[in-house]
Amino acid sequence: MTMTDIRLAATQSTPAVIATIATGSHDGSLEMRGDSYPENSFEFFTPVFNWVENLLAQPNATLKMELYLLYLNTSSVKAMMDIFDLLEEAFGEGKKVSIAWYYDNDNERIAELAEEFKEDCSFPFAINTLS
Amino acid sequence: MDKSKLAVPTTEEKREGELEFQIAELLSDAQYEGHPLKEALSALWERYESLSGQIEKLTSISDGYGSMLRERNARLDERNQRHLRQLQKIVRISDHYQKMLQEMNDTLKVSASQDPLTGLNNRRSIMERLAAEVTLVPRRKAALSLALLDIDHFKTINDSFGHDVGDHVLVNISRVMSEQVRSSDVCARWGGEEFLIMLPDSGDYAHEVCERLRLTIEKSSFVEGSDYKVTASIGVTQYIRGEDILETLKRADSALFAAKHKGRNCVAAF
Repeated sequence: MTMTDIRLAATQSTPAVIATIATGSHDGSLEMRGDSYPENSFEFFTPVFNWVENLLAQPNATLKMELYLLYLNTSSVKAMMDIFDLLEEAFGEGKKVSIAWYYDNDNERIAELAEEFKEDCSFPFAINTLS
Repeated sequence: MDKSKLAVPTTEEKREGELEFQIAELLSDAQYEGHPLKEALSALWERYESLSGQIEKLTSISDGYGSMLRERNARLDERNQRHLRQLQKIVRISDHYQKMLQEMNDTLKVSASQDPLTGLNNRRSIMERLAAEVTLVPRRKAALSLALLDIDHFKTINDSFGHDVGDHVLVNISRVMSEQVRSSDVCARWGGEEFLIMLPDSGDYAHEVCERLRLTIEKSSFVEGSDYKVTASIGVTQYIRGEDILETLKRADSALFAAKHKGRNCVAAF
């Protein structure tokens, strides 16, 4: 199936989302930036979840996620964990997937939170300072 | 469990098998052809065969349902365990986010009420404290006093020694102020080089504190490597019951103006 890129600008309550696939390949990248406390998180995250699911259904798919997320409300935490589960499954099938989570040096708490997300993930999951 | 029991037939099973074998032999024996018992026995044999076939089929179907249910339960159990783990993780992370938000909120509250240079209350914050204190005035023994302090010739300090020294003077005078007043008094940076001190339940004591503060500033040396004398003028007044606090502030300002007019480095009361 053909997959369209996602380009969402950040709003007060939703992060910016940029999901792209390199032409002629199934090499995807997904970038998310900002705060996430949407009024309807199901509505907001479903297209993102579907995009990841569709991409990783391709036999030779790869996915690189770059996260610059700050605050997440409870339903956004759940949505992110669902997406990470998709990556875990794909990784189990031998697909190349990875996450890099970036945080500002003066906000160590974000690193601790990323660390908690990482806990059950066996695929490459880096937590880096922005510099 | 003893596995051999499954493989080797029990004596009862053996006996049953022998009986079945014996009956099959008898029924196929030609010498009993036409015997009246043979027809009955063979009818009974057929019924027996069909019944035991049915029982076997029933048992295997029932066993199948049993194992299917068991498998389904195991699957459900596993799924429940997984959901529970996920839920616990979500709750943990979400609590963590809430804590982070709470801390950011606290920091914001401090920065919204504090003057970043001196660490004193800012103008907005002391106005809130004043509004609260005014409601308590009827319960106090002595009057609520306000003092406005202004550093004399502050522009000269800045111009001759630089803004760093100017800031240094502001920080140190703030420190002296906080040291001289009671813990129940509130000091604030009112703007530029001007400070406001709220002295609840103070009456005439306020004037004494201001005089002591003025003297301490005069005696301290705030400009390193120079004998420049930093002094301050102070205007002090008391809140009159029933008036708007802005009236009291206006009076404190007039008192400060009078202190400046008298030649600075003094306390004037209105």
